[in-house]
Amino acid sequence: MSQRPVTCQKTDCTAPSCAPDCAPSAPASGLVQLRRDGGTSRRSLLQAAAGTVAAAVAAPACNTPEFEAYFQKHYKKLTDEDKVKVFARLEERTRQKTGVRVRIGDPPPIEGVHFAYALNLSHCNGNRRCAEACARENNLPDEPEMRYIRVLELDNGSQHLERGTVYYDRDKVPAPGKFYLPVQCHQCDNAPCVKACPTGATWKENDGIVVVDYDWCIGCRYCQAACPYHARRFNWVEPKIEPSRINPHQAYLSNRIRQVGVVEKCTFCLQRTRRGMYPACYEVCPTGARKFGDLSDPESEVRQIVENKRVWILKEDIGTEPRFFYFYG
Amino acid sequence: MSHLRSLDWRRGAIALAAAGLATSCTWEPRRGEPAEEKELVVTIEPRIPLLATYPCSSCHATRTPQPERHPLKEFHAVRTFDFSHGDDTFWCYQCHSIRNLDQLVTATGALVSFDEAQKLCTSCHGDKLDDWKRGMHGLIVGEWNGPRTKLSCPACHNPHHPRYPTIEPEKMPETIKPMTPFGAK
Repeated sequence: MSQRPVTCQKTDCTAPSCAPDCAPSAPASGLVQLRRDGGTSRRSLLQAAAGTVAAAVAAPACNTPEFEAYFQKHYKKLTDEDKVKVFARLEERTRQKTGVRVRIGDPPPIEGVHFAYALNLSHCNGNRRCAEACARENNLPDEPEMRYIRVLELDNGSQHLERGTVYYDRDKVPAPGKFYLPVQCHQCDNAPCVKACPTGATWKENDGIVVVDYDWCIGCRYCQAACPYHARRFNWVEPKIEPSRINPHQAYLSNRIRQVGVVEKCTFCLQRTRRGMYPACYEVCPTGARKFGDLSDPESEVRQIVENKRVWILKEDIGTEPRFFYFYG
Repeated sequence: MSHLRSLDWRRGAIALAAAGLATSCTWEPRRGEPAEEKELVVTIEPRIPLLATYPCSSCHATRTPQPERHPLKEFHAVRTFDFSHGDDTFWCYQCHSIRNLDQLVTATGALVSFDEAQKLCTSCHGDKLDDWKRGMHGLIVGEWNGPRTKLSCPACHNPHHPRYPTIEPEKMPETIKPMTPFGAK
């Protein structure tokens, strides 16, 4: 993928990511040029001096995790070797911070699969199990509390979202005269958040999942403002999770522990779904309201729903083309 | 790919192995490998192992069946059932076979086992049968591209009072607090 030199010879640095940055060959070529010329031009002196300083600074810092983290490349430019190192570093960072040994994987999108979600509003009873299961699966912090899924309580016979509330506190659900509308990331085909991102830290994968490279996100929150479904969350402070509640089965693009100042979102649990499992919110739903599957498989449940039921799309008029469908029945 | 249509009706053929697998996943790094072709199997969860007082004939073999409505006695009077299925014309033998208490009887008079309750339910609620067969109605556990287990009607709907019960929700989300880069105000 990249054309850079394999290793730096001078500093015995084997990390390929630091090779172009610490530039160990600079002082050598400078000195050689000095000797060859026999003179001491201002340019060559400066070059030699700068090179020596660069080598002095780079040599000790080149191997440190901080250095590698600072110069880590965008996810799409990471080679497989880079990924092994980056994941190992992130695992080590989590271990040092929380004491939990986690494994960070990177399951690739399955060829020819287009994930989609369908949600039966006749069955959903607003029990919020999905939001809690999502939080446990995806290592969402409890302080400050963050949830990817919001369950809106609306009056029967209306879809006035502004009159709905997520702050309903009831002993039993469903409450009479109410229905419930869970909203999470819709994984839009025409995603406003992707268009808003100035750094390319968020993009749409081939299987339809919109992901974030948390190490490339600068935290500008443009995507959060652009999302019409209120699906993105920002880490205002360092997220705190109880070590016993950390899910050690992590993926780089989804549920690894995030840091302060980055935006995150629902990824249809890609660490699960790309390995054949259902998302956490699906598995925990006691009512069977949630349906998940491959839209390109004509026998899958979501495809059958999209073909046979009258599905509707939240805020269809804004043309986001989501992969998330609601239906009744 | 006709896995949804060729449903495996053999009673008790496969237990909830697929369901168990789904929750206790074994994590293996499969980075870079091509997607495997998985055999698509859809099984239906057997019901009989879940019935505590099965077989019914253990008591009913010594009692004469009464085809008319009357107040329930003995065991069924102790077990306070909520009978809110259908109107007041319903009686036990609408669904339970009067000749063999260990079997169910559909609206057309066919005997079905307790593991095939969906055949009985859909003999009246036919609109749900198509939805259930296609996977649009009901719970399915397992893998979205692998072996799956369908839960039959009584897994969610108690046949004697079929409306899904009201349940306790998870706690309310925290109200939004004004945040600064240094934490909550």
